[in-house]
Formats: sequence, C-alpha cells, structure tokens
Amino acid sequence: MTSTLADTSRSAARKPIDWWRWSGRVFLLFLLIFTVLPMAWMVLTSLKSQFAAMQYPPQWWPAEPTLENYRKLLDPSNSVGHEFLQYFWNSLYVSVATTILGVVVAVPAAYAFSRFRFPGRTFLFFAVLVRNMFPAVVFLMPLFLLMRRLGLVGTHTSLILTYLTFGLPLSIWLLKGFYDNIPIQLEQAARIDGATRFQAFYMIVLPLSSPGIIATSIFSFIGAWNEYVYAVTFLNNKDKLTLPVGIQRYFTEFATDWPGLMAATFLMSVPVVVLFLVLQKYFVRALTEGAVKS
Amino acid sequence: MSIATELAPAPGRRVGLMQRVVNHRADYLYVLPALAVMMIVIAYPVYYTLELSLFKTPANLQMKDKVYVGLDNYVTILTSQSFRDVTVNTLIWTISSTLISFLLGLCAALALHREFAGRGVLRAVLLVPYVVSAVAASYVWKWLYHSDFGVIGALSVQFGFTDRPINFLDNLYTVLPSLIVVNIWREFSFAMIMLMAGLQTVPDQLLRAAQVDGANTWQRFWHVTFPHLKGVSMVTLLLLMVANFNSFIIPWVMTGGGPAGASDIWITQIYQLAFGRQRWGLASAYAVILFVVLMTLGYFYVKALTRGDEARA
Repeated sequence: MTSTLADTSRSAARKPIDWWRWSGRVFLLFLLIFTVLPMAWMVLTSLKSQFAAMQYPPQWWPAEPTLENYRKLLDPSNSVGHEFLQYFWNSLYVSVATTILGVVVAVPAAYAFSRFRFPGRTFLFFAVLVRNMFPAVVFLMPLFLLMRRLGLVGTHTSLILTYLTFGLPLSIWLLKGFYDNIPIQLEQAARIDGATRFQAFYMIVLPLSSPGIIATSIFSFIGAWNEYVYAVTFLNNKDKLTLPVGIQRYFTEFATDWPGLMAATFLMSVPVVVLFLVLQKYFVRALTEGAVKS
Repeated sequence: MSIATELAPAPGRRVGLMQRVVNHRADYLYVLPALAVMMIVIAYPVYYTLELSLFKTPANLQMKDKVYVGLDNYVTILTSQSFRDVTVNTLIWTISSTLISFLLGLCAALALHREFAGRGVLRAVLLVPYVVSAVAASYVWKWLYHSDFGVIGALSVQFGFTDRPINFLDNLYTVLPSLIVVNIWREFSFAMIMLMAGLQTVPDQLLRAAQVDGANTWQRFWHVTFPHLKGVSMVTLLLLMVANFNSFIIPWVMTGGGPAGASDIWITQIYQLAFGRQRWGLASAYAVILFVVLMTLGYFYVKALTRGDEARA
C-alpha cells in the first residue's frame, strides 16, 4: 500500500522525457562531428611528416608531431616559404584594396538610394539580383577580353576591379538597409543647426552607420580572399598569384605533399576565420539582411 | 523599405520622367560612380555573351575573325549526348545539394532555437565551413577521400563496411555523391542561419496559445511555426538552388569534371569549352541557355520576396 503510493508520487514528480529535445541534441552532436572532423583531420595531417601521413592504416594521432610544415611555409629564405608568403601578401593586398575601395564607392551610393527618390532607383534591386543569380563563369569570357584590351590581364588591378564591381550591388544593398534605419530627423535637426548636407552626412549619419560599414567590409573581404575563378583565369604570372590559386602548386598529380598542402590550407583559412569569429554578429546580420530583408 | 512599394509608382503628383530626372540631377552624382562601374562590368558582358553565342570564334581569340553562324551553336549543344549527360548531373547535383542542405539547416535551426549554454559557440563552429574558402574545403576533402591514405576509406574498413578502401573520386558511381557531401558540408549552415532569423519572427504567444489548446510539439511546428517560415524558406531554397547551379570550385578543383565526365556539370562544362578548348562561341551559347534557366529561377525569387512583403505588410 505504502509502496504503491510512493511509486505513483515519484512517477508524477518525474518529468516525462522530452524526446524532441533529446533528438535535437543528438542531431546537433552529429552535425558538430560532421563539421569538425574534416577540419580536425586537416590540422592533424599538417602536424605529420610526409612519411607519417602516407600510411595505411593511418596514424590516427601523429606519433611524432612536428611544426616543420608550418616552419617551411613561413620561412622567407626557403623557396616554398618565399612563394607562400608572396601569395599571402598578394591575397591580402587584393582583398584590402577591394574592401576599402568598395566602401568608398558604396557609402555615397547607398546613402542616395536610401534618402533620395530619383527615377531608376529600382535598378539597384535588379543589379543585386543579377549579381546573385549569375555565375562568375558567365562573365568570365567578355571580362577576359575586356581586360586584355585594357592591358590588365595578369595584374592585380584586374582582380580588384572585378571584385569591386561584383561586390558593389550587394554592399550598396546592405548599407542601404542600415541607412533606412537611421531616422532622417537626426539629419534635419543638424541642418537646422546650420550644418550643410555633407556635414550632416559626415558627422551624424556616417558614425551611426558604422555597424553597416563593418558588416559590408567583412563581406567583401571574405569574398575577395576566397575568390578563385577570376584569379585563376586572369593571373598568369607566378609571382602575382593569390592564395587559392597559388596553393595549387603544392598539388601535382604524382607527388603531392599532403601535410604541406594541409598546413597551407590551414594558414589560408586563418584570416577569414579569425575575422568571422571576432565580427560574427555583423557577419550574420549581413548574411540574413542581404537575402531576407528588402 | 519593401520591394513592393519600391516597384510601385511613386505616389503624389504625376510628373514626366524627364522632368523627374532633371529635378533629381544632383542625386545622380552620388550613385554615378557605382552605376558606371556596374554598367561596364555587368551589362556589357551580358550583351557580349549574347553576341558571341551567334558566332564561330577562332581558337586564337582574335575576335575580329569570328564568323556568323546563326543558331548553329545552340543546335550543336542541345542535340549533343554530352549535353544530356551533363544536364542530368547538374540536376542531381543541384536538387540533392539544395534539399539536403535545407533540411539539415532547418533541423539545426529548430534545435538551436531554444537558449542553452554553448549555443553561440556551436552556431559559430557550424558556420566556419561556410566562411572558409571552397578551394581549401576541396583540398581537405580530396585528402579525406584519398584512394590509398584517405581517412574515410580507412574508417569504412575499420568499421567493416568494406574490405578495402573505396576510390571515391575515381569511381563513376561514387564521385557525384561524394562531391555533393562536400557541398552540403559547406552550405547547410547558410540555410541554418537564414532559418534561425526566420524563427525569430514566429510570435511566442501563438506557440503558447497552441500549447494551451493541447497541440503537441509536431502540431505546433506544422501549424504555427512552419507557416511563418514559408517566406524565408522559399528565399533560402531559391538562393541555395542558384548557388548550387552556379557552383564551380568544388567539382573543378576536386575532379575537374572527371572521371569520364561523371561529375561534369553545366558550369564546369562551360569553363572547359571556353578556357580548355577555346570554343568561345559554343561556350557563350551554353552560357545563354544557363541565363534563361536562371532568369526563370530569378522570376520566382522576386515573387517569393515580394509575396513575403505583402504578407508582412
């Protein structure tokens, strides 16, 4: 009698297992493993010697971990390292130039699209659309001929120009969203206090839109850093290659230095991943805003 | 600012277009630099591709020697066997990558919706493959799939699925699915982020009301949450579809379309025609066909966007 009472009260107190919640957790764990394992294997391989990497069955954990691969890539006196650092620098130069120029051109344009009502504003929307819809490969042929006519094939300028243009519609679109959210009354108040339109823009609107500028910059930087199709087509000089293209040089059909390649892909990923982790909030906002909101 | 209102004619007094342009002439100064660059690099290539598609182009790319051939290039492409094979591959690649990425993203977004310790970190980690360059991802996965020393082959032997490592990327039947896995690895978190943003628009009161009325978890999802996600889901699916249709790096870097064209899709085929075999006329015609398909998808994209706006308004 007493025991049955105790049983019922205990089962009533115990919460039923929430199967949905648990299956959600198991699913997330699965996704986490799926996401992390390839990256982990990249790092583990990069810590092995070439001999240790080419074994069957594989060494699950490097028996003699070594930083030799990284040392080789980062040592400018070594021919491999010299090339790698050159590519790294090229990538950095192209990406930073694209980002800065992009912001300089996009800020006034976005402001105009947000504040003024002139005929042809809808063009922006279609430019964003075209950019989202069409693959680089389609623009590649005419652009290649254009660059050849301008004498820019093989230069970093050709890449900066291309990235700038393809980034612009989206940058303007993102920034416009931020300007739309800044109340126009702030500017009007400044104008009443005697500021010119430019001063009102420079002193009131620009500082308020800095989150938008950061978001846009990260987007264009990551885009330029990772770009491959134009870079592989436009660049023909070994010294000018950017990282995604240059890294191919570790990859030959017969003697691929896998640990070296993994170390190089790791180093190549570091800047964008760090940038993303530090400025994640802005990145996520830009990602969703660029596609969902309008 | 919604697209619906933007596309609608400006309210107020009706003024002639020229008059409006003149009235707003100073405004154009702000957008002129951006417009000029965009016109050169976007509008001109589209026009030029259309033009080239009607010509037979010389292999040395001296375009003044090109010969007008009418619609011959289109006929050549549409009647070739390789076009059919490549189209089948493209459809398999696009549809399965899109659907699986979307489903994984949706489940992840739902599982991550509730607050718990480490949620932000988890979201960040899941997003890393989307941020990392596709070239890096391709090389890492190429190593994972390696025929002799690949970790996936070794693991499947270890767990007893096969008795010797599979040569994933050199087998006609495994190559496309293997590449699709890489693609999904890279982009499911995009769907996740979009749908997480969408989930925040689902009103809590409605969910609670449904719970009070006795709806179980599945019913709450199907009748309350999901209808609210329709707009975001449409946009996400279309964006994924377009991105997959246009993806180049993963098949190009990992297999180059091989073996024997088993992982060739439209984009790699166009690139191969243009820069491998220097047949720019054919490649342009291919690109125009791609245009038409993408325009159709684009039409639905605009519709999905504007319908979402109307629903919100």
